[in-house]
Amino acid sequence: MSVPSGQNLTSADTAASLAAPTRRVAATQRGARPRHEWATVLASQLILVGLLLGLWELATRSEPARAFLYGSPSAILTNLVRTVRDGSLWQDTALTGSETLAGFVLGNVLGAAIGLALWYSRFASRVLQPFILALGSIPIVALAPIVIIWFGTGFASKLAMATLSVVVVALVIAYKGAMGVDPDQINLMRALGAGKHQIFLHLVVPASLTDIFAGLKLTVGFALVGAIVGEFMSSAAGLGHAIFKAGSLYIISRVFAELAVTILLALLLSAIVSRVERWLLPWRHDLQ
Amino acid sequence: MSATIDTAAPQPARRQEPPVQACGIGKSFSATGGAATEIIRSISFSLARGEIVSIVGPSGCGKTTLLNMLCGLLEPSSGGILWHGREIDGVPRGLGYMLQKDLLLPWRTALQNVMLGLRIARVPAREREERARAWLARLGLADFAGYYPSALSGGMRQRVALARTLAPDPEVLLLDEPFSALDFQSKILIERDTVSLVREEHRSLLLITHDVEEAVGMSDRVLVLSHRPCSIVAEHSIRLPVPRTEMIAARETREFAQHVRAIWTELDIR
Repeated sequence: MSVPSGQNLTSADTAASLAAPTRRVAATQRGARPRHEWATVLASQLILVGLLLGLWELATRSEPARAFLYGSPSAILTNLVRTVRDGSLWQDTALTGSETLAGFVLGNVLGAAIGLALWYSRFASRVLQPFILALGSIPIVALAPIVIIWFGTGFASKLAMATLSVVVVALVIAYKGAMGVDPDQINLMRALGAGKHQIFLHLVVPASLTDIFAGLKLTVGFALVGAIVGEFMSSAAGLGHAIFKAGSLYIISRVFAELAVTILLALLLSAIVSRVERWLLPWRHDLQ
Repeated sequence: MSATIDTAAPQPARRQEPPVQACGIGKSFSATGGAATEIIRSISFSLARGEIVSIVGPSGCGKTTLLNMLCGLLEPSSGGILWHGREIDGVPRGLGYMLQKDLLLPWRTALQNVMLGLRIARVPAREREERARAWLARLGLADFAGYYPSALSGGMRQRVALARTLAPDPEVLLLDEPFSALDFQSKILIERDTVSLVREEHRSLLLITHDVEEAVGMSDRVLVLSHRPCSIVAEHSIRLPVPRTEMIAARETREFAQHVRAIWTELDIR
């Protein structure tokens, strides 16, 4: 095992102990068995849903009073078709979706900015800590009446509700991420000659953004809750508005129809965020 | 190629003075409410240009504290540290620092990790990439430049960390148990590469380790530390009848075994 000269040191261990192939092998092994299992799980889920809907339909068919009180699958379907036909489905979904997304983005940006800024000044973080904790302990729903008074009944108040639901969580995640940076990592940066600003820029910001990105799936759900609560309080359109209106008029099947659409919207948003997360965190092999 | 970054330091001083000198440094920590615990008691030694010195000691004796003081991350309670004959103020320039943990940033590829020190030193982007690629190639990782650390093995990650340490062209390397988490084969290979890369440019290397064989295999001198409060109990000049990059051959010599046995005795393992 002699080396010809200093230049181009060959190393046997790079070829021998290459992690990538082993990882791939492990992945296929993990993938092979569940593929079979996956189909069984899906089939069981479909049977379960079918069974529940069937029982529900059967129980409400025999007794019209029950159908009024609990709704029925067939009526839910009729309501869904109606909302698709008159276009309200798309309008409400688009409105609630954009309120949610705007609040989600704004809340995360604000939260990350404030959380990171707190790393920069130990003093500011000491001063602000109790206020942040207080803000974080308020149920955001309780703020809805004030938010409506301050921001009106339109888009702005829903945006504010969604943002408020996200911002404190994002702030805490960013702050914890920033403060949780390995001290050895900071020492290494210092040994490389980095000042506080460079440590912040090259280490603390990316480290805490990594945590924020990983928390996106959590906060998108919060944003949706915020937007819908805002719509409950006072609004002229949106899924929350539709649910509230149908509920007030005792059209239970309509409530369920809008609820189903809300669930689809939540799943769609969560899928988009997963995609974005994978794109933002390309080194996280557990996400790929 | 050496010392392209550090242009401010006066050249004559560098010739005469050893790059690193520890003059009677000691360190005590005061526990909360309790009396001060003395970790290190009056350690003095010097590291000459182009010299490889290892410090071995029983575990928990304060080796890492010593290293952190030497590179200006921690202030000694007594004594002083001189870099090129001058008292240090903060982290000195021309320092390479590497720990057992590779400390690679997970969001940077191998190449970007190697470029980190150059980025901090504000080396222009093109030169930065060229130099980083050259270092990866010298450590046999040319094909893995675009890999994230999570896709590399422990040995490869530590190689990337070594490339990152060497890329800013440091004069003095301070390594704290850098290879102790690696398997034997990876360890021998990276030790060999480290020795030749350090010798080639006449860098100085201070290696802190608990692995006596690693210390004897790589160093010109080995300093042995005592239990806490630690001080230097012995110094060995290592002379082996084979070239110092022949790690395996070196281990088979009688001299190697003698050095190892002597140091083991002095370590006083309880």
